[in-house]
Amino acid sequence: MTMKPAWPDAPVDVAVIGGGVMGATAALFLARGGMRVALLDRQDLFRSASGVNAGTLTLHMTRAQLIPHAMRGREMWLTSREWLGTDVGALATPGLSLAFTEGEEALLRERARVRQQAGAPIEIVPPARAIAIEPGLNPSIRAAAYCALDGHIPAYRVGRAYARALAGAGVSLFEHCAVTAIHPSGNGYDISCAEQARPLAARRVVLAAGVWLEKMLGWFGHTIPIRCLINQLVVTETMPQVMGSVVSIANGLLSLKQFANGSVLIGGGWQGEGNIHDGGTRVIPENLRGNVRLAQHVIPRLSQAQILRVWLGLESETPDAMPLIGALTPRDDAFVIGCAHSGFTSGPYMGRLLAERILGGTPDLSAFDPHRFSPSSTPEPSP
Amino acid sequence: MSPPERGALVVVGGGVAGATAALTISRHGLPVTLVDEQPQAGGQIFRAPTPHARRQVPPNHEFSDGDRLRALLAASRVETRPATRVWGVSPRMELDVLGPDGIDQLPARALVVANGATERLLPFPGWTDPRVIGLAGASILLRNAGTLPGRRVVVAGAGPLLFSVAHQVMEPGGHVVAVIDAGRRGDWLRLGATLMRDPARLRMAAQWMTRLRLAGIPIHHQTHIAAVHAAPHGLSVAVAKTGRPGVAYQYDDVDAVACGHGLKPTTLLTRTLGARHRFDSAGGYWEPETDSSGRTSRAGLYATGDAAGIRGAAVARLRGLITGHAVALDQGAITARDFARLTRRPRMLLRRLDHVSRTMLPLLNASAPLFRAIPDDAIVCRCERVRAATLRETAATGARDLNQIKAWTRCGMGPCQGRMCEDGARGVLAASCDLPPEEAGSFTPRTPFFPLPLAALTGTFAYSDIPLPKAAPL
Ligand SMILES: Cc1cc2nc3c(=O)[nH]c(=O)nc-3n(C[C@H](O)[C@H](O)[C@H](O)COP(=O)(O)OP(=O)(O)OC[C@H]3O[C@@H](n4cnc5c(N)ncnc54)[C@H](O)[C@@H]3O)c2cc1C
Ligand SMILES: Cc1cc2nc3c(=O)[nH]c(=O)nc-3n(C[C@H](O)[C@H](O)[C@H](O)COP(=O)(O)OP(=O)(O)OC[C@H]3O[C@@H](n4cnc5c(N)ncnc54)[C@H](O)[C@@H]3O)c2cc1C
Repeated sequence: MTMKPAWPDAPVDVAVIGGGVMGATAALFLARGGMRVALLDRQDLFRSASGVNAGTLTLHMTRAQLIPHAMRGREMWLTSREWLGTDVGALATPGLSLAFTEGEEALLRERARVRQQAGAPIEIVPPARAIAIEPGLNPSIRAAAYCALDGHIPAYRVGRAYARALAGAGVSLFEHCAVTAIHPSGNGYDISCAEQARPLAARRVVLAAGVWLEKMLGWFGHTIPIRCLINQLVVTETMPQVMGSVVSIANGLLSLKQFANGSVLIGGGWQGEGNIHDGGTRVIPENLRGNVRLAQHVIPRLSQAQILRVWLGLESETPDAMPLIGALTPRDDAFVIGCAHSGFTSGPYMGRLLAERILGGTPDLSAFDPHRFSPSSTPEPSP
Repeated sequence: MSPPERGALVVVGGGVAGATAALTISRHGLPVTLVDEQPQAGGQIFRAPTPHARRQVPPNHEFSDGDRLRALLAASRVETRPATRVWGVSPRMELDVLGPDGIDQLPARALVVANGATERLLPFPGWTDPRVIGLAGASILLRNAGTLPGRRVVVAGAGPLLFSVAHQVMEPGGHVVAVIDAGRRGDWLRLGATLMRDPARLRMAAQWMTRLRLAGIPIHHQTHIAAVHAAPHGLSVAVAKTGRPGVAYQYDDVDAVACGHGLKPTTLLTRTLGARHRFDSAGGYWEPETDSSGRTSRAGLYATGDAAGIRGAAVARLRGLITGHAVALDQGAITARDFARLTRRPRMLLRRLDHVSRTMLPLLNASAPLFRAIPDDAIVCRCERVRAATLRETAATGARDLNQIKAWTRCGMGPCQGRMCEDGARGVLAASCDLPPEEAGSFTPRTPFFPLPLAALTGTFAYSDIPLPKAAPL
């Protein structure tokens, strides 16, 4: 619980809607760039994807085109004390992606090749080398892709660090404030919230509402279907050390690591069922069984583990599985950020890039332009 | 949310309430599934004894009534799923279960929650010693396994369970060193008067007390355990008078301490499903709001037996019966007239017994002075080793809600999900802010409700059995 600042009377320079890693980072750097910033979230900060994700900082799983962003984002997490003010406990480890069958080996090589080209230091290594790096591995592997730049971060610790940093930067944070409508006004936008009688006036607005973006984009005339993935995560009770790296498999559908306290996190994007409107989710038993079988196959000693928690988190995806970052209006006063694959890894960097763009810089965001989905609308003039 | 169209009629909990409900539903010709985590039905009071226990413990009505219940189930068309634990539930009432064949999901069109009660424990320095056990656990050990927790046992806490367990320790030849009771002597005398309306319970209580008195066992009222220390020849137990400093009594060479401060309904399922709950101030616990037939605020969801409020075995049976009829009515198997006729007599009896049980509730409910007496260095949350001092400091910086306490201190975040510490933490928080305990709320349940052995999910499998999803985008 944070002390509530007063609902602003005068217009703010920018209102950021959504306090996940994307919105909160953008808000932080906008405020440091001299703007008066309000950050609104309908829950507490970092309660959605950004608070419940697996915290893997990996280059094996990110989309190849996003490798440069993931590398910069990972770097930022590892040096969080410098820019966020708190060391959030990110840990650099090696990362391995494994193949158990011939088909997987071909896939592994192909994925590694594309990622190397995008700048990731990934190499294919023989089983003996992989086992030397990670002695807990199932010895029946055929090949592994090794990346020295991997790691993880306990995602649940990040929210408090951001809350402190945002306060320090002078961002007015409004939690439990659900945005219900945004209307253009003479000088920007009026932003209505369920919990406030009077709308908030803002010169600019940034939409960073994660999986809930689709409807908001509609308010600005953008029709972009946002798919909602319902990712399953499993965490074990603390146990003696069974692994020291981040391990995935060739098709990308496993992420496995052990935190400093001894608990092991099993993820990889296996799906549950759910509904973004009422928030209800359901575990699909076959997928829970499949996910933990895969984990136990990879690290056999996990058969000793006790499962402490199973949860489902919501992740957003665009039709081309590439992020949305950029301006929504010709007036250049409404922006969007979100839907990045492995977005927790690259989030700090992407949020900073958008802030830079709004503050008048010219980072290259062309691949993320939301107008790519609305060919009929006039492309935005480049600033 | 409306109840799902498909799915079975499911009863969770094969204690006296759930078994009776399932039998009743089945008698109306409806297929019903009874899920219980124990290998045999019976629940807390009618739990099936091991062959060893049958030899050790003198015959008693709990054994015989339990056997009768199990025989009725075996002869019925109730589909039982023994050794099957419910570890989660989806918003649409699909139960996640772990049974002998691994995990499974059981969609319920109507769900009767009869999962009984959870024991409340009050922390004191030394309560984490493995020789300190709960009253319910002690009773299972004594009655159902036929094993003494030790030869010299201190029985401590609050409510009638104290005397029940003291009596059970003596049955196979154990020695009760002392009974440490938080209640006042006067409370018991007043209860005696109420018990006149329930001759069965009065007789049993009189029998227990006579045995304790004849054996010359000290019974200290308005006292609590100040601390337990491990000494070379066993535990040494310091007892304080509640509200007064210092040690009033000291017992040494103790083999085991059985303690508990009453029971509370187990609300994991009803809370996860979003049913409305109310705080019963007499009992000091949250219970699902139910109508007189066990219907919760959510269509298709029922709570019965101790799961709907602590009332003891006789009331649990009657509630189970009425809820069973209500399910049959709601499913269209009987008419409202049938229902009224079938429930008239049970309701009359229930009213009388329920009144007696309610009178007992305050005796089971620890009061603020007991929580104030918990010393700062006592560990409240055993899983995360959070001490009373930490909770008090957190309360002083503004935390008012158990979930805030959890986020700020990790209290309740461990494998037991706060089952052991919730009441201690709520009491300490409420007492140190002078708040009514209900304002502190309760820990939000998380899935799985209990740690699941990973190997029970995986079983034996080949890599090719794993349904690998298609590759993530490049
Ligand atoms: C289970 C899971 C595991 C993952 N694992 C990884 C991983 O290991 N590595 C990795 O790099 N990435 C991972 N991801 C992806 C990553 O978590 C996301 O890409 C990233 O957190 C998205 O951040 P965001 O800020 O866009 O969205 P979110 O964190 O979802 O934030 C959106 C915010 O908007 C708020 N909001 C919504 N509607 C409104 C409204 N009307 N008014 C006000 N506020 C509103 C929400 O409350 C929320 O706080 C995982 C995702 C999930 C779900
Ligand atoms: C030490 C002790 C002494 C007692 N003495 C007396 C007495 O003398 N007289 C009296 O009237 N009452 C006594 N009681 C109270 C009595 O035990 C209860 O009132 C009675 O058992 C309630 O019946 P029930 O069917 O509601 O619940 P229970 O008997 O508790 O049955 C609940 C059932 O649900 C099952 N269950 C729970 N959770 C799950 C899950 N997640 N998945 C699957 N199954 C689950 C349990 O295994 C259990 O079988 C005593 C209680 C204790 C602890």
